Amino acid sequence: MKKLLIALAAATALMASPGLAQDKLKIGAAPYGLNAEFMQIWSAALEQHPAVKSGEVELTVFDGRYDALVQQEQFNTMITQQFDAIVFVPIDVEAGATAVQAAYEAGIPVVGSNTRVNSDLLAAYVGSDDTVSGYMEAKTVLDKIGCKGNVVILEGPIGQSSQISRLEGNQKALAECPDVKVLEQQTANWSRAEAQTLMENWLTAHPGQINGVIGQNDEMALGAIEAIKAAKLNVGDFAIAGIDGITDALNAVKEGTMTSILQDARAQAQGALDLAIFHARKGDYKPQSDIWAQYPDMPFNDGKDKNYNVPWTPVTTDNADKLIESRQ
Amino acid sequence: MSTTDNNSSTAWLGSDRRRLIIQEYGIFLAFLLLAFILSVSNQYFLTPGNISNVLLQTSINGILAIGMTFVILTRGIDLSVGSVVALAGIVSASFATTSATAGIVGAPYSPFVALPIGLFVGIACGAIVGIIVSRFSVPAFVATLGMLSAARGMTLIYGGGKPVPALTPDFRWIGTGSVFGVPMPVVLFAVVFLVSWYVLNRTRFGRYIYAVGGNPHAANTSGINVSRLRFSVYVISGGLSGLAGMILSARTGSALPQAGIAYELDAIAAVVIGGTSLSGGVGRITGTLIGALIIGVMNNGLDLMGIQSYYQQVLKGALIVGAVMLDQKRNMGG
Repeated sequence: MKKLLIALAAATALMASPGLAQDKLKIGAAPYGLNAEFMQIWSAALEQHPAVKSGEVELTVFDGRYDALVQQEQFNTMITQQFDAIVFVPIDVEAGATAVQAAYEAGIPVVGSNTRVNSDLLAAYVGSDDTVSGYMEAKTVLDKIGCKGNVVILEGPIGQSSQISRLEGNQKALAECPDVKVLEQQTANWSRAEAQTLMENWLTAHPGQINGVIGQNDEMALGAIEAIKAAKLNVGDFAIAGIDGITDALNAVKEGTMTSILQDARAQAQGALDLAIFHARKGDYKPQSDIWAQYPDMPFNDGKDKNYNVPWTPVTTDNADKLIESRQ
Repeated sequence: MSTTDNNSSTAWLGSDRRRLIIQEYGIFLAFLLLAFILSVSNQYFLTPGNISNVLLQTSINGILAIGMTFVILTRGIDLSVGSVVALAGIVSASFATTSATAGIVGAPYSPFVALPIGLFVGIACGAIVGIIVSRFSVPAFVATLGMLSAARGMTLIYGGGKPVPALTPDFRWIGTGSVFGVPMPVVLFAVVFLVSWYVLNRTRFGRYIYAVGGNPHAANTSGINVSRLRFSVYVISGGLSGLAGMILSARTGSALPQAGIAYELDAIAAVVIGGTSLSGGVGRITGTLIGALIIGVMNNGLDLMGIQSYYQQVLKGALIVGAVMLDQKRNMGG
């Protein structure tokens, strides 16, 4: 009797589940790693997406642990478990392509977000153009020093797509100021501590000569500020810029010690999820996130586009408080 | 030159000591040579400001390397230091932040609360490793590899993966303050060095560490509590990692969960370059000091000359292997 009941229960469960699966989408998110603030804001934004909150989408976030191979294995897991769509933030431009290919062959749409992958099999990509931010941040530094003097550049890990693009943008702005000399240009691997050491040594090597600091992310710009303070110099005498809009940088902008440009993790995440649902539903879906209203320059366009460019927002003393508030 | 000494019956200890002296001076000469080359090739290298910078940049690795020396002298290894740096840094920072969201209830507390807590976190991590190594006879490599992973995970859990920003100026004083013009991290490094030198060279505990590292069985037979001694070196290394973690977050002004990644490698490198043998029992804390300074001076000098950091890594690798090769040759040649 008991056995029969269990068998019956199992049978109903089996019969019930396909019906459920049709309504409820299983979507996987594969960010490259969750140790840094940006990707945490990104994945928190996914959880806040209306479709996830309403239960229409069952979301699973996989931590890629900064390893291309780990990400590839997570793709295999999602393929075996027959996910309906994947939102992908690859650690590496090239290595991610294999994973995308495998999902494509299994008929699972993959939507890229934040970082690029060298594959034309993506259903869509939602990100921000790093050459634009590289140009914008260098421009603020150059404007502040009046297009003359000396600058140093703190670079991301050489070869990473955002380092390459941001440098391209930096150089485009520098080309407009031929009188500005780049005294030093080195990687600090996005790290505040490494940038601090580099800047301490540069201040020694070029005493009184550095006018501007172009940090390819906020962490490194903040490291430079600490080095300047430690050397008992006046931070106000330097033009310092970063990118990303992390919380510490928002506070620094409020103090007036640096400028930053917000990369909108929320828009990148929720936009990508809307597109993932759209492709999983084979076009039978209207986007639910409010980000499309927030950025009229980036229309959803019935999901037809391949590339969605989330605009950069310069952080100012006016919007810094609101941004800090939105993270609490 | 020492062959005759070696052959005479009374000189065994003498030649061993001489070998150590040569070892120390060898590395010291290498250090002077490096400093000389850098001071000739860059006008700023020998300025007081830059010397202060080098010492400042060496302090954190130096403190970790001193703890590592205690461990390696007993034939152990501590791979967990980088993760313990991050954990102690973030826990103590949560007591010293003015941020409303990142701190513990009632924060900011005075550094007299936050600093002992960070130290305690380090010591606790070291004690756990120490018990696992000494009571359960798990190899140090495995026990500390476990702690490397666990402490990093605890760091991410504790802070929710987020940094703890906005540390109070009082707390930051251990990273940014100075005493008679000497930066606080350097002062702390010096104190740690002097105390460790005294402990290793002038106390019974120090002699026991060499004895246990040289021959654990003999040490055990002669009545040394080998197990307790092994336990205590991990506590020392853990406590110093805690200290280093707090200095790091005080310097950067924010405790980051990614802090200290791969710091164990630089600490081990400093110990090895300084001539301490990985097979235990042989080595000097002054060697470790010079080893840490060589790494610091090299990084600083190459930065001053504008040489890319990738070359620094290659040079450091060559230096580590070169130092051990010299050591082996010297040991074989007697």
